[in-house]
Amino acid sequence: MHRRGVGAGAIAKKKLAEAKYKERGTVLAEDQIVQMSKQLETFKSNLEEFASKHKQEIRKNPQFRVQFQEMCATIGVDPLASGKGFWSEMLGVGDFYYELGVQIIEVCLALKHRNGGLITLDELHQRVLKGRGKYAQDVSQDDLVRAIKKLKVMGSGFGMIPVGGSYLVQSVPAELNMDHTVVLQLAEKKGYVTVSEIRGSLKWERERACHVLDHLLKEGLAWLDSQAGAEAQYWLPALFAELTSRDVTPEEANQMTP
Amino acid sequence: MFFRTLTAVNTASTAMSFEWPWQYNFPPFFTLQPNVDTRQKQLAAWCSLVLSYCRHHKLYTVDVMEAQESPVFNNKKIERKLSVEAIQVVFEELRKKGNLEWLDKNKSRCLVMWRRPEEWGKLIYQWVSKNGMNNTVFTLYELSNGDDTDGEEFHGLEDWMLQRSLQALQAEGKAEIITMDDGKGVKFF
Repeated sequence: MHRRGVGAGAIAKKKLAEAKYKERGTVLAEDQIVQMSKQLETFKSNLEEFASKHKQEIRKNPQFRVQFQEMCATIGVDPLASGKGFWSEMLGVGDFYYELGVQIIEVCLALKHRNGGLITLDELHQRVLKGRGKYAQDVSQDDLVRAIKKLKVMGSGFGMIPVGGSYLVQSVPAELNMDHTVVLQLAEKKGYVTVSEIRGSLKWERERACHVLDHLLKEGLAWLDSQAGAEAQYWLPALFAELTSRDVTPEEANQMTP
Repeated sequence: MFFRTLTAVNTASTAMSFEWPWQYNFPPFFTLQPNVDTRQKQLAAWCSLVLSYCRHHKLYTVDVMEAQESPVFNNKKIERKLSVEAIQVVFEELRKKGNLEWLDKNKSRCLVMWRRPEEWGKLIYQWVSKNGMNNTVFTLYELSNGDDTDGEEFHGLEDWMLQRSLQALQAEGKAEIITMDDGKGVKFF
């Protein structure tokens, strides 16, 4: 009968085996990584091939563009990350979003005197499309959101406030905290909001509501209407529906530079 | 002398309808804004609205009390009106810009100059030169009501404004106002 290995020799043997297993394990893991990166590489080159094949489609069709962007995101490729390199050269997408960014800034600047630097994504979309003309590539709201995110990274004071399933785009660096954001969300339906409405829906103290509204007045984002009956209404030009379709008249443009 | 008034515009139908700026339907436009920057934008928009409205309806004199009831300052559709105090603020702003002059000390009536005298003078002088009538003498009536000027923008210009414009031209050395038997005349150079 064999003696059970309980001595010092046995312990050493066991340790050795463990080390061997570990080594083997590392090798296996390394193999896997090598294999995976090979796969990823293939995927990447397929994606590149796909991109070059469907270049026109990606540039022309906004839905296609969204899907392509999503595909890129899953493998950690950002076609917008730099102006140079394969992706932007191949697709011209870098240029596309750069151009879009400039157009967004233009629209926001032209309307700043009206809305204090706050605009709905819908209105922005409409105006950018109008500015690009009939024959330019189609642009989706998803494209706008991407372009705005790029502008945000550049520290241009751009930001987006989620409101009722869409966004309010902020082009002027006003300090807006959560309180301001929820009040804007509340104002979204009618274009204005009152102290009672805020107290009713958010269960806030009067002071807190007044504080937020005063701030919106101070930032030039809200206008006061004291002829609305018993209670003052705080109107947001950015959410004033009738404005969305109005072009900036030459007279209005003159008022901007008194 | 015939003055058209702001309220008379209500009934007098005009050939082309006046296009209101977006602010006209924006309720807070009729409340003087507490924020200084916003108020500046608001006043600029009011000035421009008043001038373009007066120009559209060829109005030259405005009575403040009457103005309150005129469609410019009273939007019945959205039930908002600009208060007398706010109207005074708008008018004072227009005065600072050289587009308005008070007719009395109480500031109840004023002249609204949607074109300043120099601008009118320039228009008249252009017409004279274009028609080769330099060195010709006109009576003031001929200029503002004669057949020759029919269709010109200054046709129907009120007498006081016409005189101011000619004075402006005189100051530039482009015209000389002369007194004639039955009134005044002008010679262009």
